[in-house]
Amino acid sequence: MSEEPRYFPVNLTWTGGKSGSLSVEGKTTIKSGSPLSEDEASYHTPEDLFVASATICYMNGFLNFLDKMHISTISFKCDAVGTLEKVDRSFEITKIEMKAKVVIESEDIRSKIDRALELAAKYCFVGNSMKCPITHDTEVIVK
Amino acid sequence: MTDDSHEYLVKLDWTHGRVGDLTVDGKPKIQVSAPPEFDGPEGIISPEDLFVAAATSCFMTTFVTFSKKMHIEFKSFSCDGYGTLERVEKGFQFTKLLLKAKVVVESDELIPKAERAMELAGKYCLVSNSMKCPTEHENEVTVG
Repeated sequence: MSEEPRYFPVNLTWTGGKSGSLSVEGKTTIKSGSPLSEDEASYHTPEDLFVASATICYMNGFLNFLDKMHISTISFKCDAVGTLEKVDRSFEITKIEMKAKVVIESEDIRSKIDRALELAAKYCFVGNSMKCPITHDTEVIVK
Repeated sequence: MTDDSHEYLVKLDWTHGRVGDLTVDGKPKIQVSAPPEFDGPEGIISPEDLFVAAATSCFMTTFVTFSKKMHIEFKSFSCDGYGTLERVEKGFQFTKLLLKAKVVVESDELIPKAERAMELAGKYCLVSNSMKCPTEHENEVTVG
């Protein structure tokens, strides 16, 4: 990737209530919104998308460092919880807690996996674009 | 949980390559990956897309909240969000978000009210307020 800035355009069109259709050219449309009534409850809220963006960026960073270290994983999963709290007169996401679980083939690569997880957290640029602290609880298991 | 604190849980499961499944309880699963410029495949939603999408959709839901409080009806709302990712000291970071929103209202007298609702939505958008980068707004209200 070059040093030039990259742009990420999305389009959102309101569909009624507090819901809209989010589209990124050439990709799946995501229904988004805050629920006003029960039938809207199944859409992704802005808060979900915010927490998700940091979580996926962490995974991508981890996969990137695995490639660089020439190691691989059997599985990776991560649960993340974002906390929205009142700050002064409005709300802000004040923390994101991630719990990642990695399954590997053998004990030999454990230290490298730990290192890749650490680097992924450090260089997660979506996480670094957020004001709130992000914690990473990691568990590495040998199959 | 009180009114002053809410929690949002997301789950991510790696499936293959740079691709994973994102799940939020009771909501459709979204396939996600790194974008092509970071070695991901084409055509799959990336974290960069979702970061920009989170601010864009928060702006919309906050606008709806203010328009309800102000008793304004609007006919349509659409917003293009542009995030700029740039290299800073410690790797990459989003340095700017630009939201270009278009609202269509029924009559001329609603224009200043809709503009005010958009201004307040920008100010109180909790997702933008949780990001380090500044968010710029270009709002347009027309009668249609």
